[in-house]
Amino acid sequence: MNAEASLVPGGGASDWAIDLSDVAKTYKGKIQALKGIQMRVRRGEVFGLLGPNGAGKSTLVKILMTVIRPTRCQGTMLGERVGAKGVLRRIGYLPEHHRFPSYLTGAQVLDFYAAMNEVPRPDRQARIPELLELVGMQDWGKVRVGRYSKGMRQRVGIAQSLMNDPDIVLLDEPTDGVDPVGRRDIREIVSELRRRGKTVFLNSHLLSELEMVCDRVAILVHGEVASQGTIDELTAGKERYEIQMAEGQAPGQIEAALPGLVRFAGEGDLAKRVGGRGELATGEWVEVDHGLVRVGTTDPAAIQPILDRLRQHGAVIRSIRQHRPSLEDLFMEAVGEPEGVGAEVSAKQKSAAKPKKNRGAS
Amino acid sequence: MITQTIALFVDAYRELNAKKLFWITMMLSGLVVLIYAAIGINEQGIYFLWFKIPTPVPIDSTTLPPAILYKQLFLSLGIQIWLAWVATILALVSTAGIIPEMISGGSIEMLLSKPISRWRLFLTKYATGLLFAALQVGAFTAASFLVIGIRGGVWEPGLFLAIPLVVVFFSYLYCVCALLGVLTKSTIASLLLTVLLWCGLFILNTGDGAVMAIRVQLEAQRDAYAATIDRSRDAAAEILAARRETAGEPPLPEGYVATDEDMLTITPWIKNVLDNRDEAEESLGKLRPWARWIYAAKTIVPKTGETISLLERWLISMADLEAMAAADEEGEATRIDESSGEVTLDQTEVQMRAQEAIRGRSVWWIMGTSLVFECVVLGAAVFVFARRDN
Repeated sequence: MNAEASLVPGGGASDWAIDLSDVAKTYKGKIQALKGIQMRVRRGEVFGLLGPNGAGKSTLVKILMTVIRPTRCQGTMLGERVGAKGVLRRIGYLPEHHRFPSYLTGAQVLDFYAAMNEVPRPDRQARIPELLELVGMQDWGKVRVGRYSKGMRQRVGIAQSLMNDPDIVLLDEPTDGVDPVGRRDIREIVSELRRRGKTVFLNSHLLSELEMVCDRVAILVHGEVASQGTIDELTAGKERYEIQMAEGQAPGQIEAALPGLVRFAGEGDLAKRVGGRGELATGEWVEVDHGLVRVGTTDPAAIQPILDRLRQHGAVIRSIRQHRPSLEDLFMEAVGEPEGVGAEVSAKQKSAAKPKKNRGAS
Repeated sequence: MITQTIALFVDAYRELNAKKLFWITMMLSGLVVLIYAAIGINEQGIYFLWFKIPTPVPIDSTTLPPAILYKQLFLSLGIQIWLAWVATILALVSTAGIIPEMISGGSIEMLLSKPISRWRLFLTKYATGLLFAALQVGAFTAASFLVIGIRGGVWEPGLFLAIPLVVVFFSYLYCVCALLGVLTKSTIASLLLTVLLWCGLFILNTGDGAVMAIRVQLEAQRDAYAATIDRSRDAAAEILAARRETAGEPPLPEGYVATDEDMLTITPWIKNVLDNRDEAEESLGKLRPWARWIYAAKTIVPKTGETISLLERWLISMADLEAMAAADEEGEATRIDESSGEVTLDQTEVQMRAQEAIRGRSVWWIMGTSLVFECVVLGAAVFVFARRDN
C-alpha cells in the first residue's frame, strides 16, 4: 500500500501535532532502522504505531524525543523542528522498558521528572496527587518504586508522562507487563486524554488494544510506513461477505454452480477445481476456498444471485456473515503473513527479532 | 534551567542518602575527628585522653603550640590520610556508578527526552558526583574547625579552604571516572581504571618527591662544601698575606683571591672537599634531565598530592615552620669532617630547603594545569556523550 496516498487529506499545517516528511536512521554497521518515514498525526487524535519487533517503532519515537540522533530528519512536532529541545516541554513521554531510580518514591519520581520538564514547583505539588489518583496509585505515592510491581511502575510512568500537562503524549508499549484490568484502565486514561484534547501517540504490538482506542494507525515494516490512516480507510475495499456451506458438500459443487454468474480467471475444468478467484459481472471479486465463498462487497444485494444459484444447485448454506478485517488482519497483511496466523506469529517474531542491545529496537 | 539543576542535585542527594556507604563514611569521618580531639597537649607533654604518649624527644605546649599541633593533626591525619586517601576511595566507590547508571537503558531515555541539552545534563550530573566529596569534606572540616577552636584555642577560618581543595582534588579523579563511565558504561571498569590512574599518579609523585629530596640534599651538600671552600680560600689568602709580611716580601694585591693551589698548600685536607663538591655538582648534573622529564610529565597530569598540600602551605606559614625548627634542640649543625672531607648536614635546614622547593611551585602550575587536564577530559566525555545513540 502506498503510504503517501493514505495520508489524511485536507489537513492544514496547524492541524498536525506531528508532521514527518522524511526521517531516516542508519546505525553504525549500515543497519537501516528507518528508511525515510512519512507520517502525520492530527492534533487531538489517538494515533497508533504498530509493527513487528525490529520495524523501527521505538527508534522513531526516540528520534522524536531527541534520545537518538537521526541520520536524516525533516519534520515538525507542534510546529517546531524535530530535535528542538524546547518543544519537549509540551510533550509527555513514557519510554519502553523505562527504569526509575529505585530510591525514589512514586511521588518523588513524578516530582523529579516534572522538574526536569521545568514544571514550576506549585504545579508539581498540585498535579502529583491528582495524577496518582488518575492512574490508581494514590495509596502508593510514598512508597519507593523499588517495591513496585511492573504494572505499578507502568502506571506511575504514565502519570509522570502527564505531569507537564503535555499537548502530545507518546506512550511506548504502555500496556507492557500490565494485567487485563490495568490495560482497561490505561485504555480509559487514553480515552480521557482524548476527551481533554490531547494528542496521544501509542506505540504497541498489542493490536487489539490499539484497535479499541486509536483514531488512526500507521503500520511500520522494515523501517518503512507500509500503510496509515483510519481503520475504515485501511479496511476500505477489504470488507466482504462470507458464505459458508454445510459440511459434506461434493467437491467442485460450488464451482459448478457459479459459472455464468462468476467469471473465473484462467481456463480449466471447473468441475475439478476446489478453489479459485473470479469476479461478478458487476465487478465484485469472488473467491472460492473449499466450502467457503467470499464476495468482495458490502452490498447485500450483490450476493443474492450467488445465493440463488447455490441453492438451485442443491448447496446447503450454513452461514452468511459480513466480514470486516481486523487491525490484526491488516497488520499481518502488511508484514506479509496470511490472515489468521495472528498473535502466535506476532509473539514468535517478538522473540526472534529482538535486536542486539538498543540498536534497531522497534 | 535552575529548576532542572536543583532537581538533579536534590536527586543526587536522595541517591546518596539512600546509600549506606555515604553514612558509613560520614560516621568514620566523625570518628577521625573524635580521635584527634582526644589528643591533648600541655606543659607536661602529649596526651591521648588521660594517657601520656611517650615521645623520643620531649614535646610539650612550649615547643609545640596547641594550635599548630591540631592544625598539623588536621592536615596530616584528617586531610592527607583520611580525606585524600580513605574517604576518596569510598567516594569513588559511591559515585563511580552515577554516569554508567545514567546512560543505562531505561534511564537515559527519561533524561534525554527532557528540555535539557546533553552537555548540560552531563556536566550537571558530573557536578552532582562531586556532592559526595563536598558533603564529606564540609562536615569533616566544620567538626575540625570546632575541635581546633575549642581544644587549640584558635579559630582558624582558613580551614574551610579544605572544602574547595579536596573537592577539586577529587574532581581530578572523578573526571577520569566519568569519561571511562561514558566509554565503558561499566561502573567496575571505570572505578578500577580510575584507581589505576591514581596509582600511576602516586608513583609519579613519589618519583618526583624522591628526585626533589635527592636534589635538595645534593644542593645542600654542594653549598656546604662551597661555603667551606670559600672560608678556606679566605683563610688561605690571610695566611699567605701574613707569611709575606713576616718574610718581608711585597704584599699581595688588594682583594687577592687565593687559588686552589694556595689552599691545597696551606690546608691540604681541602682537596677532599673540592673533590666532593665536584662530585655533588656532577650528580646534580645527572639528576637534572630526570627532574626535567618528571616535571614535564607532571605538568600535563593532575597534581593530586600537591593540590592537597596547598592547604598546608596556606595554613602553616614558613614562619611557623621556622619556629618549630628552632624549637627542635636536638638538631645537629652542618659540619665537615676534615680528614675525609665528608659533610654532615643539619637535617632541619635540609627540610626547610625542601619546604621552600615545594612551596616554590606556583599555584597556577599545581591547580591551573590540573584544571586544564580536567577540562580536556570532561570535553572528551561530553563529546562522546553528546554523539552517542541511546
